[in-house]
Amino acid sequence: MPTGEYRHDHFGKAVIRTQIAIALSLLLLLPAANFFYPTAYNLKAGIHGVSAILAVIVGTYLTHRAIPLIKGMQVRFESLRLWVMTATVLNLAGAVSGNWIYMRYRGQEGPRDWILAHVPSFHNVLMEFKEFASLFPFPLMVAACFALFYYGKSMQYRRDIARFLGITLLISWSFLMLGFVAGLVLAKLRFV
Amino acid sequence: MQHDTENPKIYSGPLVAATLALLLAFFTLMVSHHISRLTKELDKIIHSYGHWIPGSTGSGPDGSIGSYTGKETLAIAVWLVSWLIFHCLWRRQDLSLKVWTRLFVVGLLAITLGFFHPISDPIVLFIADLLGIY
Repeated sequence: MPTGEYRHDHFGKAVIRTQIAIALSLLLLLPAANFFYPTAYNLKAGIHGVSAILAVIVGTYLTHRAIPLIKGMQVRFESLRLWVMTATVLNLAGAVSGNWIYMRYRGQEGPRDWILAHVPSFHNVLMEFKEFASLFPFPLMVAACFALFYYGKSMQYRRDIARFLGITLLISWSFLMLGFVAGLVLAKLRFV
Repeated sequence: MQHDTENPKIYSGPLVAATLALLLAFFTLMVSHHISRLTKELDKIIHSYGHWIPGSTGSGPDGSIGSYTGKETLAIAVWLVSWLIFHCLWRRQDLSLKVWTRLFVVGLLAITLGFFHPISDPIVLFIADLLGIY
């Protein structure tokens, strides 16, 4: 039985791309709705939400690019470099806007006060963890970016270096998810 | 046609340097966080490093990020300085990435658990008690 590589035809590709476009648009509506929330902090919340979810989307996509690297296969180098650069910028935006919204979180009668009064462990355990774990993806992506620029295409001749890069991308994604889920739980408990 | 001589020799040292530096940065973040939680004076000292960051001080509904800025500053400083030092040291070194991958993943896991208070607090309090910090 022949076991050649399966390739999507034009129709298949169109279906997949349409599904992705619909899913991404719906997903983006979740944090974009923050812009219309009736508080004085809707702009900060919206920017942090949108940059965080974009970082999660690009980070998740990169996990698929990490697998060929780990397996030692040849990859489309320029495209990978562009995606890792994009992820680095988005992670920086997520961290900076996170700092920005964190001020209000800690502010007078802000979410922290409410959470400490009603469900203290969500602040003392979850937030104290989230505020730091969320900082991890950016420097991890910087290291990945550095490797891609420093070694250039010759990196593909060193399977161990390509593999380590793939693992770094996977680790970065896992911290992104930890931070993102913890952030969603906190926002669900008490919005700014 | 490509010859082997056209491919410059590449070393794993710079990659180990880049990732060891960020492990040290995360470690700094963890240590400074636990130090700042021990006493108000220690929190003030950690906070003082972060005053350059907008929103590091302030009160009222808009709040401030407090000593979190100091922890970030110390981590960034350790990250960049140690990266530069290790990079210069290992620019032309080939270090085993197989060994480093294990150390890196285990190190990251340990530091991550260090931010989980139910696990880290008893250890931090034990060390603080040994050093006589209250």
